Amino acid sequence: MEGSIMEAGRYIGAGLAMLGAAGAGVGVGLSALGALGGMARNPDAYGNLLTSMILGIAFSEAIAIYCLVISFLMLFKVV
Amino acid sequence: METKKRTPWRRWIVLLLMFLGCAAGGGLAGYGLAGIPPVRPEITAAAEKLIAEPIVDNFLGLAPLYLVNTLPTLGLTIVLLILIAYFTNRSLNRSLKTDLVPRGIGNLMEAILEALYNMTEGSAGAKWAKTIFMWFATIMIYVLFANLLKLLPGFESIGVLHPAHGEGFAIRELGGGWSYLLPHQVEEGGFILAPFFRGISVDLNFTVSLALIAVVAVQAIGFRALGLGYLKKFFNFGNVFKVPFFGVIDMGMGILELVSEFAKILSFAFRLFGNMFAGVVLVAVASSLIGFISIVPAMLFLFELFVGVIQAFVFGILTMVFMVMATAGHGHEEEHAPEGSQTEVHEL
Repeated sequence: MEGSIMEAGRYIGAGLAMLGAAGAGVGVGLSALGALGGMARNPDAYGNLLTSMILGIAFSEAIAIYCLVISFLMLFKVV
Repeated sequence: METKKRTPWRRWIVLLLMFLGCAAGGGLAGYGLAGIPPVRPEITAAAEKLIAEPIVDNFLGLAPLYLVNTLPTLGLTIVLLILIAYFTNRSLNRSLKTDLVPRGIGNLMEAILEALYNMTEGSAGAKWAKTIFMWFATIMIYVLFANLLKLLPGFESIGVLHPAHGEGFAIRELGGGWSYLLPHQVEEGGFILAPFFRGISVDLNFTVSLALIAVVAVQAIGFRALGLGYLKKFFNFGNVFKVPFFGVIDMGMGILELVSEFAKILSFAFRLFGNMFAGVVLVAVASSLIGFISIVPAMLFLFELFVGVIQAFVFGILTMVFMVMATAGHGHEEEHAPEGSQTEVHEL
C-alpha cells in the first residue's frame, strides 16, 4: 500500500514538474517571433538575428530541460 | 569543353543505402539479431563504476577514486583532440613551406576558426578578441567533441555486467565470456550493465568543472581589463553617502551581481548536463518502446546531433559574452568599452 502511494506520487510529481515546459514553450515562441519580425523588416541582419535567436532559445529551453531532468530523476528513482 | 550533363546516379545509391540502413537497423535493433526487442538501459545520473573497488583508495587525501566509465571517454576525447591539433599543425606547416594555400584538415580548421574569430571580434572589439577567442574556441571545440562522441555506436551499450542488488535484467550467454541482456527484469540474480563508454557531458563532474573554469576565467579577464576597479561591479559603495537612495540601490545591484556570478556556474553546468542527460534518456526510452521501428531512434539521434552542436555553441558563446561584459566595465566607464560592441548593435 505504502509502496504504491510512493509510486503514484512519483508519477504525479514527474507530471507536475513538466508544467514548467509550458513557460519555456512561450519563451521559445516569443524569441522566434521577435527574430522573425526583425528578419522580415531587415533581411540583411539575418545572420546576427539568427545567432541571438538561437542563444535566446537555448536560454528558455534550458528551463524546460531543468524540468525534464527533475521529472526523469523522479521517474527513474535516481534520488 | 564537354558540357554534357552527368546523370546523378550516385544520388540514388545514397538514397538506397539510407533505405537499406533503415531496414537493416530496424531488423537489428528490433528482432533480427537476438530475437529480442531493445533493452531499456539502467539510467543513472552519476557515471557507473566499471570496477566496484576504488583504484586509488585515498586520492589526494580527499576521497576514493573509482574507475568510472566517463574516464575512458575523457581519454578518448583528449587523444582525438590532440590528434586533430597535430594533423592540423602538420598540414599548415606543409602549406607554409609550399604555396601558403592550406589544404585538407588545415583548410577546414582555418575556415572554422576564422569564422569563430570574426564572431569574437565583432562583439569583443579588436583589443580583447585574442584573449577571449582563446577561451571561446577551446571551450566550444572541447564541448562539441564531448557532445558528439556520445552518439557513436557502442557508447552506453557495450560494457561489463555487475550483479544487481535489487531488480536486474536476465542475461543469455553468447560464448567466449560475452552475454547479452534480455529485456525482462528479474527480482533476484539479475545483472546491471555498466557500459565501457559514456559521454563525458552526461557526467555532472565534467560540466561543473568546465563551468568553474569558464567563470573563473571570466573573473580573471575582468581583473586584467579593469584592474581592481573590476571589484566595483560587486561592491559599489561609492554613492551611498553622496546620493543615499540611488547609492543603496547600486549597492543592492552589486550584491545581485555577486550572486549571479555563482548562479552562472550552476546554470552553465546544469544546462549542458541537462540537455545531454535528457538526450540519453530520450533515446533509451524511445528505443525500448518503439525501437523496432528504427527510424524513430534514428531521428532522435539526428536531433541529438543538433542539440549537441547547439549546446556546444551556447556554452562557448555564453563564455564569450560574459567575458566581453567583464572587460566592458560598469556604469560611466562604458565609454571605454571596445569599439564595435556597442555601436554595431545600433547600426543594424
